[in-house]
Amino acid sequence: MANDLSTDKPAVDKKVSLLEAVNLAMHRAMSEDENVAVLGEDVGVNGGVFRATQGLRDTFGFKRVIDSPLAETMLGGLVIGMAAQGLKPVVEIQFMGFIYAAMEHLVSHAARMRNRTRGRLSCPMVMRSPMGAGIRAPEHHSESTEAMFAHVPGLRVVIPSSPARAYGLLLAAIDDPDPVIFLEPTRLYRMNPQTLVDDGKRLPLDTCFTLREGSDITLISWGASVHETLQAANALAEHGVSAEVIDVACVKPLDLDTLEASVRKTGRCVIVHEAPRSGGLGGEIAASLYERALLDLQAPIQRVTAPDIPPPLYRLEQLYIPSVEDILHACDTALNYA
Amino acid sequence: MKYFKLPDLGEGLQEAEIVEWHVKAGDTVKADQLVVSVETAKAIVDIPAPYDGVVAKVYGGDGDILHVGEPLMAFEGEGDAGTVVGRLEGGGSSQDDQFFVGAAPSTREHLSARATPAVRQLARQLGVDLNALSGSGSDGLITRADVENASQAERDKFGGEKLRGVRRSMALNMAKSHAEVVPVTIFGDADLHRWGAARDPLIRIGKAMAAACRVEPVLNSWFDGKSLSIKHHEKLDLGIAVDTPDGLFVPVLRDVGNRHAADLKEGLNCLRADVKARSIPPKEMMGATITLSNFGTLFGRYANPIVVLPQVAIIGAGGIRQEPVAMDGQVVIHPILPLSLTFDHRAVTGGEAARFFKALVEELEKPEST
Repeated sequence: MANDLSTDKPAVDKKVSLLEAVNLAMHRAMSEDENVAVLGEDVGVNGGVFRATQGLRDTFGFKRVIDSPLAETMLGGLVIGMAAQGLKPVVEIQFMGFIYAAMEHLVSHAARMRNRTRGRLSCPMVMRSPMGAGIRAPEHHSESTEAMFAHVPGLRVVIPSSPARAYGLLLAAIDDPDPVIFLEPTRLYRMNPQTLVDDGKRLPLDTCFTLREGSDITLISWGASVHETLQAANALAEHGVSAEVIDVACVKPLDLDTLEASVRKTGRCVIVHEAPRSGGLGGEIAASLYERALLDLQAPIQRVTAPDIPPPLYRLEQLYIPSVEDILHACDTALNYA
Repeated sequence: MKYFKLPDLGEGLQEAEIVEWHVKAGDTVKADQLVVSVETAKAIVDIPAPYDGVVAKVYGGDGDILHVGEPLMAFEGEGDAGTVVGRLEGGGSSQDDQFFVGAAPSTREHLSARATPAVRQLARQLGVDLNALSGSGSDGLITRADVENASQAERDKFGGEKLRGVRRSMALNMAKSHAEVVPVTIFGDADLHRWGAARDPLIRIGKAMAAACRVEPVLNSWFDGKSLSIKHHEKLDLGIAVDTPDGLFVPVLRDVGNRHAADLKEGLNCLRADVKARSIPPKEMMGATITLSNFGTLFGRYANPIVVLPQVAIIGAGGIRQEPVAMDGQVVIHPILPLSLTFDHRAVTGGEAARFFKALVEELEKPEST
């Protein structure tokens, strides 16, 4: 088979989308470490439902890039076995709505492998899946259920919101000796391409990323909502309000130190996420900030989230996704509270 | 790129070996043009191009085995974008993605004061800036003692003696009035040549003020700036500023308009004695409706006395002096009483004040009643 991967890879000086960054990271990881294997439905010949794995099979062969049957339960079990035997499987689930079939394996085995074997085994697997609404797809292709995974001790949950963070975090996730749920905001797959250097540099998995420095209010978000949150920060700047924007990115474990420090600086906080409100991570973050920074808060922490319903069909999608206006309204409440 | 995959060659054959490529990357091909020859278990098959295009890449070299459905060659151009459902939008903002790993530099530098609400309240009362303190509590928490120490240190830095009692209330009340009242002062003189020899003007000024209040009752009012409300008084309760070594006392002489001069004089002497002995009950210093400052007995001519809230007017009486005045075309020497009226222009108009002042002077210039 032809093994020249340079023609299938975006050049380093070109603008790269989040989707291409994911693809680049997998190319990089597979060429650096022969134990890395990619598997999933249509990931090989077809290059993945969104073409995230395009070119991998040509480059690394069918033994390392494996087209699986349509059976997520089996995929969940398979990657745990591969990981336990020293491989580093990266499994793609086509849509987040299909991930639940693998839940039993994730919760009962992958997450507990290290604990259950008293540290003798670990589970260095990555489960990749697109997440979120906004691409005119049905509800089981549009959900944001990251909190379900964040609730499980032993799983890392990582959600990049830019090409650079997708690249650096996916490489770090593949390196990590424990299971990582890597959720890619589908709505951002092709938006806002950025120049990216394919240098193999990892980003830390245990930290937030401060996207915009500010002094009046802290806007906390992750995933696709980072896009609207940054727009809201721009709108606030036009009114002379200096907003700090933090992409949580690693939603489990949470980098509460960074969030606390920022909120102690600004005294005001709005949390934005596309997941439904009840049991969403916004509540977890708000509770932690109240525990740590109550005496520095100037206003109650505001949450901007989707309502407690499944994602609607696409005509109503824009009402479901937190909008810039929703965020600005919450900022208004926080800024004018007292 | 668009991919042309190894087609089903019939007869259930699943793989083929490449015999020879007839095109290479970069070639332009036409539909149905021969691109590759492959050998199956049955025969050598020539595979034509499916459509016009430019070859971007060929997969596999001579002798390689390909399976049905695997990419055979790639054409340049926009390929299949994937996604069987949904639509991925491109573009978006052209904002550069720049970020700090972890906290922003200003967040790291920022060390805001941490204190409980009660300590914050104490700091506000004592005028202590919490951000200037470093807390001695756990994790930099500012304690009550930290605030008290800072406040003490601030006082020690200035030194001096702490104001107490009457001087303290004077400082507070005067500052409050100065901050709130909109003062206007009118000056004028009363010619006292019709008076007899005995000249204790205080009671007469008081009686004259009562007469002037009948002309312009608004001067005898209390005003509340917060609710913008005014309260008129029937009786004149005159606050009389009394100078003492301990500070300014203002005892109140009640119902000046309706009492006889002798009665008033006796009351006044009583108040003065009480002030001097520091035995005046607090209620005797409350409820004045206008104040009179008779500073002229010490020195001075005109003044801008401070209106004491909630009153709206204060009269300043200067020292009586012999002055040449023009009378019937002649220069004569008369005793002249210089007067100042300061009023709160929020509650009283200039016209009301001037009419009040005119009535006051006319009353004073009458002969002494017996």
